[in-house]
Amino acid sequence: MKTIVNRKKVEWWVMVILILFGLCGGRYFVSPATAKAPGSGVDCRVEIDRSVLLEDGPQKVVIKVTLDAPPPPEKIERPAVNLSIVLDRSGSMSGQKLEKAKEAAIEAVRHLGPGDIFSVVAYDHNVRTVVPARSARHVEWIERRIREIRSGGNTALFGGVSQGAAEVRKNFRGRYVHRIILLSDGIANVGPSTPEDLGRLGAALIKEGISVTTVGVGTDYNEDLMTRLSQNSDGNSYFVESSRDLPRIFAAELGDVLNVVAKKVRVIVECPDGVRPLTIIGREGRIRGRTVELYLNQLYGGQKKYALIEVEIPGEKSGEEIHIASVRVSYENPFTQKSETASGRVSARFSDDRAEVNKSVNIGVQRDYQLNLNAIAKDKAISLSDMGKKDEAVSELKKSAGQLRYLGQKYDDEKLLNEAEAMEQQAEQIEEKGMTRKHRKSLRTDSYQMKHQQLSK
Amino acid sequence: MKKCPIILYWLLLLVPTFVIGVFAFQLLRHEQERIDKEVRFSARDRARSIAETLQITVAAVEDGLTEALCRIHGNRLTETLLEWEESNPLLRNVFVWKPKVGLQYPVSGASATLEERRFNARYNALFSGRVPWQSAGAETADAVPSDTLVSEQPSLVRDIKKLKTGRQRLVSLAKGEGGSYKDRNMEAEEGSCKVGGWIPWFEENRLFILGWVQRQPNGLIYGVEIELMTLLSRLVTDFPATAPKGMVYALLDGSGQILHQAGNSALEPGLRPDLTVPLAPYLPHWQVAVYFVDGRLAAVSGKGFIILSGLLLAIFIIAIILGGSLLTWQAHRNMREAQQKTSFVSNVSHELKTPLTSIRMYAELLNEGRIKDPEKKEHYLRVIVDESRRLTRLVNNVLDFSRLEQGRKNYYLEELELTGYLREIVELHRLRIQEAGLALEVQIPEEKIVLLTDRDAIEQVMLNIIDNAIKYAADGGELVIALKVKNGKCEIRFMDRGQGVPPEHRSRIFKKFHRVDDTLTAQQPGSGLGLSITRRLLRDIDGDLLYEPRDGGGSSFVVLVPCRSHRES
Repeated sequence: MKTIVNRKKVEWWVMVILILFGLCGGRYFVSPATAKAPGSGVDCRVEIDRSVLLEDGPQKVVIKVTLDAPPPPEKIERPAVNLSIVLDRSGSMSGQKLEKAKEAAIEAVRHLGPGDIFSVVAYDHNVRTVVPARSARHVEWIERRIREIRSGGNTALFGGVSQGAAEVRKNFRGRYVHRIILLSDGIANVGPSTPEDLGRLGAALIKEGISVTTVGVGTDYNEDLMTRLSQNSDGNSYFVESSRDLPRIFAAELGDVLNVVAKKVRVIVECPDGVRPLTIIGREGRIRGRTVELYLNQLYGGQKKYALIEVEIPGEKSGEEIHIASVRVSYENPFTQKSETASGRVSARFSDDRAEVNKSVNIGVQRDYQLNLNAIAKDKAISLSDMGKKDEAVSELKKSAGQLRYLGQKYDDEKLLNEAEAMEQQAEQIEEKGMTRKHRKSLRTDSYQMKHQQLSK
Repeated sequence: MKKCPIILYWLLLLVPTFVIGVFAFQLLRHEQERIDKEVRFSARDRARSIAETLQITVAAVEDGLTEALCRIHGNRLTETLLEWEESNPLLRNVFVWKPKVGLQYPVSGASATLEERRFNARYNALFSGRVPWQSAGAETADAVPSDTLVSEQPSLVRDIKKLKTGRQRLVSLAKGEGGSYKDRNMEAEEGSCKVGGWIPWFEENRLFILGWVQRQPNGLIYGVEIELMTLLSRLVTDFPATAPKGMVYALLDGSGQILHQAGNSALEPGLRPDLTVPLAPYLPHWQVAVYFVDGRLAAVSGKGFIILSGLLLAIFIIAIILGGSLLTWQAHRNMREAQQKTSFVSNVSHELKTPLTSIRMYAELLNEGRIKDPEKKEHYLRVIVDESRRLTRLVNNVLDFSRLEQGRKNYYLEELELTGYLREIVELHRLRIQEAGLALEVQIPEEKIVLLTDRDAIEQVMLNIIDNAIKYAADGGELVIALKVKNGKCEIRFMDRGQGVPPEHRSRIFKKFHRVDDTLTAQQPGSGLGLSITRRLLRDIDGDLLYEPRDGGGSSFVVLVPCRSHRES
């Protein structure tokens, strides 16, 4: 059963904004008929995989908390962006890759406005701030500096990201959307270079409100490290096989960054006595007793992000209702610079009629749950392959594909069937040729994008 | 030519040069060592300065966190700690430990996160009481304010000022003031904590840092584990961005891994640093290291200096030796020429004197009128004429030589029928040749060969070679003069059966003043100019003179003259 509660009243906000902008000399005009009012708020929708439960004993239920971000206001100045591009200029980047990366960075600064902050850090074994944090209005100077970047030696990725963060911090007091875009094509070999270390750096950066988006170029970079860094800092992650796609990826990423409608999003799921949270599917979070806490850095306009939580609930008699979870969402509205909240709750009813239970299945939740399990299966297949267990990795992928196909056929769901087919093909290719670097990167990035509902791919 | 003076000159030149060179090199080496030492001291000072800056930053962070721990109060201490952990990037874990009871938070169990389980396992020895808290780095919590540290390190004031903004921001973050989180429960409460400290902890060769305070009156220990990645990320930005050329600064962890580096050169894995400064006690086993590129101090202090100076010294020595050599060579040449000229003058005088003596003697006899025999008279007159001609030839040669040397020799080109002209000259000298005891064989074709050349030069050439044959090859008894046309050139060979030219003289017989036997007592007098002049004359009219030893013994002089020359005078 889904319930939608939005504590902010849309009409009220429309009025406030209209008055505000009227006071500002009517620079902007918002038509209530054509656009959602700015800061109309994030919708929080809470669903479970089936709204009617069997009256039998304890059972597992999947809760899906969907955060539905409104589209950004059309004629209201977007929040300013504090962007740092961290470029790998190690020897392997020389030639076309570095040229395209520079081109992409220049393209990015051209998309920014005078109110935005831009910086560029380039690293090989040394870390050099090519463009110190400054207003993006100095486009020509910035372009000249970027074009002067030359390829060098090793890969001090940690130092590069650290310096990028230092540049972002220079404008911490301003109300910016903070973002680092990291581009690398190689294995980090100077400084901390394990996925765990970089993941912890990402987790620390998100506490400061800095997200790191990673762009891996070619088939030689460490995708585990890159995705972990993105994952823990709630950034996006891209796998770019050809450097020709870099300008497109940068543009897409920038599109997201310029489209932030909610910052510092915190989701707290509280379960009543008897309902026990078991695990969070796909995302990092904390389960403390009956409370589940999740932290998302940003939501982009029009984006739907969700979290899946598996809980165990006790059996009740047929006809009884059970409250399963209450959800509180808090975030910062970048347009109003104010904290806002949204909430939702979900409950279910017990029945002894199996047909009624089957009929109450929420295909949307089932699909997302299965796709996320599939993403986890991809990660597991990578781990098995890394341990030299290629056959088991293939078997894992095929098993997951079988499950997708079964559910796809059962609920006549095209998306699940398509994914099942893609998985089967990948499993067959890996069975035939082994886990190539390209397969590994593709699986890892797909898995990450699925678990984090990445918009741009 | 005497060799001794030359060797003496050489020794006079070389010995002082080498002595100066050795002394200069020693001085340079000492200077280089001094520069090396200075560079090493300077690098060590810089590394110490970096290390102290990093230590101060860590100390300031630790002080800030300790202060913040002491300021936490209220009923929801654990919850406040947790919220602090979730919002502060410097914190990896928080904990609450009760003496004699054990860890209150985080508790092990199914609800604990992976990180919490790892945290419990990591500090099990501490939390289970096997390692006492006091011995693991306890101190009074408010003992060392960060500003005191700065004032105690006056040499670092400049660096610290540079880092002030960033460090203050970091300290504010540690204290929970400037970050995204500021808790209302974090306000000072006098006397709430008495004891605390920081414990560096190692697991699997990795450093972890735990800070704690003991709160009164309940005696609970509240603590935090620093997120080392955040700390490192901040320390990295405190690190100098560049290093002097040829030098690399690096931050090393306990296992010697490079955590960060500054300097243009990439370091090979496993490379040993040239200098290290430990970061203990704040970051035990971590070090600030200095590498000189390729393991050589030279790259920094460069041996640049000694290489450049050595190069200049070498150039100086080479210049001295070369200059000396040139002067010696020039002196040697002048001496040889002077000697040759002396020999030339003696020879020419001797040459002039011989015909003059004959002329004078026969002329006096005729003048006295005592010779009545007409045949004798005729003979004497012929001798006088012959000797006069010889004298003329000799004087002509000397004059030609003089003109050729000064570049004043003029050639008058005209058409010349060579075969006829050659026969004419041969016939003119046949008698003289035969009188010298040489059987003359002439192999000149009948056909006419017309040249555009200087008649006098050709005659001079012929005379000189025939004179040479008469002088040096008379004992061979044969002189063959043969003319052939070959490859567009007229080739006139003068072949005798004399002693020939010794091989060591063959390349030098065409040089001026050179004589195979240049002593005054030589059997044949001569100026040493004949062949030199002959070749010069021929080359001036596009011809040449070559020497070839003759098969069966003797010499063969080959005169080459272009058959048709279009050369203008």
